[in-house]
Amino acid sequence: MIAEKKISVSTVSMKSYGERIIEINHLKISFGQNHVLTDFNLMVRRGENVVVLGKSGCGKSVLIKCIVGLLNYDGGEIKVLGQEISSLDQQSLDELRAKIGFVFQSSALYDSMTVRGNLEFALRRHGRHKSKNEIDGLVDETLTNVGLLHAIEKMPSELSGGMKKRVGLARALILHPEIMLYDEPTTGLDPITAKEMSNLMLEMQKKYNTSSIIISHDMHCAKLTANRLAVMMDGICYADGTYDELSSLTDPRIHAFFE
Amino acid sequence: MTRVLRNYFYEAGATVHFGWRYLKEVWFPPYEFREVLKQCFEIGYKSLTLVGITAFIIGLVFTLQSRPTLVEFGAESWLPYMVGLSIIREIGPVITGLICAGKIGSGIGAELGSMKVTEQIDAMEVSGTNPFKFIVATRITACILMVPILTIMGDAIALFGSFLAIKIAGSISWTLYFDKIFSSLHYSDFIPAFLKTFFFGFAIGLVGCFKGFHSKKGTEGVGRSANSAVVVSSLLIFIIDLIAVQISQFFGFV
Repeated sequence: MIAEKKISVSTVSMKSYGERIIEINHLKISFGQNHVLTDFNLMVRRGENVVVLGKSGCGKSVLIKCIVGLLNYDGGEIKVLGQEISSLDQQSLDELRAKIGFVFQSSALYDSMTVRGNLEFALRRHGRHKSKNEIDGLVDETLTNVGLLHAIEKMPSELSGGMKKRVGLARALILHPEIMLYDEPTTGLDPITAKEMSNLMLEMQKKYNTSSIIISHDMHCAKLTANRLAVMMDGICYADGTYDELSSLTDPRIHAFFE
Repeated sequence: MTRVLRNYFYEAGATVHFGWRYLKEVWFPPYEFREVLKQCFEIGYKSLTLVGITAFIIGLVFTLQSRPTLVEFGAESWLPYMVGLSIIREIGPVITGLICAGKIGSGIGAELGSMKVTEQIDAMEVSGTNPFKFIVATRITACILMVPILTIMGDAIALFGSFLAIKIAGSISWTLYFDKIFSSLHYSDFIPAFLKTFFFGFAIGLVGCFKGFHSKKGTEGVGRSANSAVVVSSLLIFIIDLIAVQISQFFGFV
């Protein structure tokens, strides 16, 4: 079944937040005969947390991988901080990526490096903090913010799932990005650790003043972190609005998420 | 059948393109010297024991097996010359290349495959680092530098093994043995054999990195990457060896 129209009940985004920081218009992506996104539209404003909900395999992770240029898209446009992703050369894309923090579903920590090495990696390459003292200071500060300073010399294999997620978050935050992209940040965690992770994400958003797209199907995480929710279905943004607005809808396909 | 052939040629073309990309990108900054040194340690130093033991046994066994035939023809005094020439020209480089293809090729294929499926390569790219330069270029460079060094060490150890075999069976002094070998060897024996090991190193690094970098999702994909890295790089070593012999003959080195 192809959804033909979008249900928009959002009343907050236009009034409460700053300029447009991510604009996705008529995005199309296919893998062979599998048309994942057919006409996806989404806009995120500065300071806003948007949770993208959707069933497994509907294309949520594909969406944020397109936003950072990890995947190419077939049609439409993605503008991040005013720059169209598909038109950027490699250097401009790398510069833009330094302003985007990406938290992977699997944490994706470099397993040949310690926690310190993981955090220093991007810092050393972007060359904005050359002195060793500055780098050490930033690594300590970021790890303190996520409560993991004691694990600084540990290898990723020595960390629990929750700790890995927090190190992944610290690694994404270390360059002080303007935008955070979370790919299922609470998947695989127990309910208590998942709630701690959601709270940490909110805390970090305030501390680092970021805007976020959070890919999730964890409704507790969505309720806690979202200023707005977008429901991805049949390759389009099927509905968007606040948690309360969407939960009060009678559409059975939307209602199923809130049961 | 058509599909198999198409996939084969597609992969061969993609591997050549991957190697060409290395040759284009390796000259330009950023240079990852620290990572190259680390990979030299991982690839070179950690393979030394295996290469050394294998080379020692090959030298020893090769001499023990060859001696009776030469004794039969009354040509025992030619033994150091024959063994030395065989080891320096052919057995040393090819055996070291095959050992490295097995140990290093599978290691790189599995490591990069694992990095691929756990999204570490994506994470590197998202952090604004070119994963090709950091992961691929450093490993191929380390292979190009380390395989020739391992070969020289392997040759020396194999000659030592050969000396012990002759010493056990008969009586020859250390000085006489090596004097016989080096007096019979020319630069034209050593240089082509040494030069081809750079290409062996390139092939091992290239195939291992290509297979790992393009690993399919899942543990099966990682296993397949490691396995095919060994098979393809071993085959490439023989092909390069064949080409190297033809070129050596063309230039009159054989």
